[in-house]
Order: sequence, then C-alpha cells, then structure tokens
Amino acid sequence: MTAKGDNVVIRSLTQIGACGLFLLTILAAVPRSLRHGRETVRQIWFVGAMSLTIVMTCGLFVGMVLGLQLYDVLSIFGGTSATGTVVAIAIYRELGPVVTALLFAGRAGTSVTAEIGLMRATDQLDAMEMMAVDPIAYVAVPRFLAGVVALPLLGVVFCAMGVFGGHLVGVTWLGIDNGTFWSNMTATVDVHKDIVNGVLLKSFAFGIVVSLIAVFQGYTTPPTSEGVAYATTRTVVASSIAILALDFVLTSFLI
Amino acid sequence: MTDDAIVRIRGLTTVLNGKTIFDNLDLDIPRGRITAIMGPSGTGKTTLLKHITGQMRGDAGSVEVDGENVPALSRERLFGLRERIGYLFQNSALLTDFDVFENVAFPLRQHTRLPEELIRNIVLNKLQAVGLRGAARLMPTELSGGMARRVALARAIVFDPALILYDEPFVGLDPIALNQVLLLIRTLNQTLGITSVLVAHELAAVQKVAERVYLIANGKVVAQGAPDSLADDGSPWTAQFFGGEADGPVPFQYPAGDYATALGFPGGKA
Repeated sequence: MTAKGDNVVIRSLTQIGACGLFLLTILAAVPRSLRHGRETVRQIWFVGAMSLTIVMTCGLFVGMVLGLQLYDVLSIFGGTSATGTVVAIAIYRELGPVVTALLFAGRAGTSVTAEIGLMRATDQLDAMEMMAVDPIAYVAVPRFLAGVVALPLLGVVFCAMGVFGGHLVGVTWLGIDNGTFWSNMTATVDVHKDIVNGVLLKSFAFGIVVSLIAVFQGYTTPPTSEGVAYATTRTVVASSIAILALDFVLTSFLI
Repeated sequence: MTDDAIVRIRGLTTVLNGKTIFDNLDLDIPRGRITAIMGPSGTGKTTLLKHITGQMRGDAGSVEVDGENVPALSRERLFGLRERIGYLFQNSALLTDFDVFENVAFPLRQHTRLPEELIRNIVLNKLQAVGLRGAARLMPTELSGGMARRVALARAIVFDPALILYDEPFVGLDPIALNQVLLLIRTLNQTLGITSVLVAHELAAVQKVAERVYLIANGKVVAQGAPDSLADDGSPWTAQFFGGEADGPVPFQYPAGDYATALGFPGGKA
C-alpha cells in the first residue's frame, strides 16, 4: 500500500484511491448480497434503530438552543415571530443532515469499523472465504447499505426533534404565538429545496460517505488491536472531514 | 511421489516482500490419508495451506487440488472447490455473532435451501460427533479453547468434505483436549475417509495420527517419510528440528549486520 517514507499527502491520496476502488467492489457485490437481505435488515436495525436515542436527544437540544439564541437575537429587531422559520430552515438545510451524520459516524461508524476489524483480526472473514461465503457480499455490503438507508431516516427524526425543541423553547417557554410559529414556518419552508434537497439528499450523500469510510477502514485494518484502534479513530476523523467538505460542495450546488 | 494424490504441488515458488517462501517446492498429499506438514516457525506452513485453498497464489508452479489447478480457477469455481474442503483455523475463527449451533449451521444456510428440520439434524449430528451437542446454545465467548476448536471442526465437516486442512490444531490445548482433537482427526479419517492435512509442531502428537510427514525448511521439502523413521534420517534439518537444537541449519541469530559495527567498535566489518 504505502511505503514508510511516503508523505502524508501521498498516503492520503492512496487511501482515497483505495477507498474509491473499494466502493466499486461494494457496488459490484450488491447483486450478490441480495440473498443476504435478512443480514441487511439486521444491520439497519443495528446502525439505525440503535442510534435513535442519541439522534433524538441531540436533535431536541440543538433545536432548543437554536430557538433560544434566535429569540435572543431576533428580539433586538422585534422579529421573534420568525424564530420558528429560522430554526426550521437552519435545521433542515444544515444542522439536521450534518449533525446527524457526525453523530452517526461516532455512534454507528465506529462500531462498524471495530466490528469488521475484529472479524479480520480473529480470522472470521478468512473463515467465511473458506466456507465459500463472500465476505464483501455478506459483511461489507449489508453494513454499507444499512448506513445509506438509515442515515436519511435518522436525519428526518433529528429534524423533527429539532423543530419540536425550537417550539418547546420559543412557544412553550418564551411565549411566541403558536399559530405564528407554525404559519410562518410552513409559509417559508420549501419542501423541495429545504426538505428533499436539504435533509434527504444531503443525508443520503453523507450516508454513502460515512458507511463507505467505516466499512473500508474496518475491512482494510491491520489485524492487530492497535490497527483496529487506529482504524476506529480514522473513521471518525475522515468521516467528519468528508461530511463537512461534502456539505460545502453540495450546498454550493443546491443553494 | 504418490499416484492417487488429492493435492499435487509442482515447482511452487512464492516470494513475499522480497523473501523467498517457497523455492520450487514439490509435494503430494495422498488421498484418504493423514499427512502432517512440519517445519520451523515462519517457514510457510500456513502459507502452504493458503495456496492449497486458493487464498494465496504463488509466483510460479502449479497447485492441483482434486484435479483442479487452483491458481487458474475463477472465483465461482474456487468457491465450488472450497465447499469440498474443510479448514480448521488455528484460533477456530468462530463467528462471534452466532451461537455454537448457528456457527455449524452457517455453511448449510448459506449454500443450501434445506428445510430447518434437516439442518437441525445435520448440525446436531456433527455436534454429537465432536461431543458438544449439549453446548449448542452457548456463545463462542463461553467456550474453552479446546471446545471452540471442536466446534470449528464440526463446522468444517458439516458438508462432509473430501479434504480437511488443520492449521496448528494442537496449539494451546491441555492434554485432555489435545487427545480429544487427536481422536477426532483419526476418527474422521477412518470413518469418513476424509483426507487430512495437519500443520503442526508437536512431533509426539503427529506421530500418533499422521501416516506421512513432510518437513519444510528454507522453502523446500527437506525430509519426508513415516513419522517414526523421519527423525532418524540423518539430515541436519531433521536432527535440529526433532532434536530441538537451538542452532543449526535454522540459525539462532536472525540475519543481521556485523555485531562489532553495530556496537560502534572500530575495525568492525563494513
């Protein structure tokens, strides 16, 4: 892969190239993995449903703090009635998909990397090969697809909780009129631009990136405890950078 | 060389990271027998098994298993061949998500559409054969090393393979577990006629089951024959290996530069 003397740029480019080739390998194995549908569903449960608590909790608090900050700023201009609108747009377009993806990388991505890495270290992947079971189709693809399916759904849940948090602070606590909060929001939020392109499209793209990085790092980790530890760390670091960089690129095209 | 060989290796040459692992290696595994492959650590015994299963390919030479040239096989045909080969990993390599029963059932579920009743009967039959039917619902983490190896053996024979490869099957076992594994290897060979290949270091254990031993060192077969007579064949390799000498053809010192130079003494060799 890389020689010891290679600098960090070459190492990073090599990793990105290898990751791209791994994506092609995964996509080519998708038809073969259809027979492992139950495994894919099990993984959706594992990475999706098991991440619900952290996503819902964080979504609630992000919405609440956003409501509080916006109310404080907007009250200077006498525009507190726009609190709901701004909370919703900020969450739908940016905070929802981005924070959900970052949480997902930390909660599910790391566990996928560690799980596959340990399977590699304990010869379980080789054992599958020896039982004539393709570990790409049985292990890598279901976990990849699970992330791609789960992240947009988690993004929607995060956004719903965020708006609920904004409502909780803005309406229930600070006394913004309930009808104004909702009517301003529904009048301004565009389903296509803010929800389809904002929440769903971005989350889908982040799901591909985070799942790919997590599976790739686990699959290619050196079969040692140190190797698994480094791979898990790399999943968080690489995913975070990739999410934020991709968010900028996507936003520049979608806005 | 044997006429009825299930594995026939000819001129195998493998170089890994600049180090020659196999140098024009010839080796036959006779069908229906128990053959042991022995040799110093790092000599490539497990690597040889990986060549037989197609997990690795040599730089030159041929590896024929049951009449098929392994390096030339497509992935589909290689997987077809592997369904006829059982492989016992050194660390058992049980799937940690599944219990004992599901580990043994795993190959059946992946490759067949047998009714659940039949899968259950086959799995319980194999677990009974290795003495662990009562442990069917235990998780791999609840098993001792010897039990895990027996479960892995039950999984390896679930398709009644023609060939079983045992990678260091005796390592880390207490005398009771070691004798249980020895008994299983012999029983499987005698009752089912399965060809067995053992990679092992333990001469005493190998002498109890193997009919033929290959001693590999320096990338070649340096001695071969019946296990009882091999230790006395007079070659320096067998004398060192079976005599347990610290130094000999396999040097005590890992290859290194001049010691005096490394210590910074003047006059050391450059």
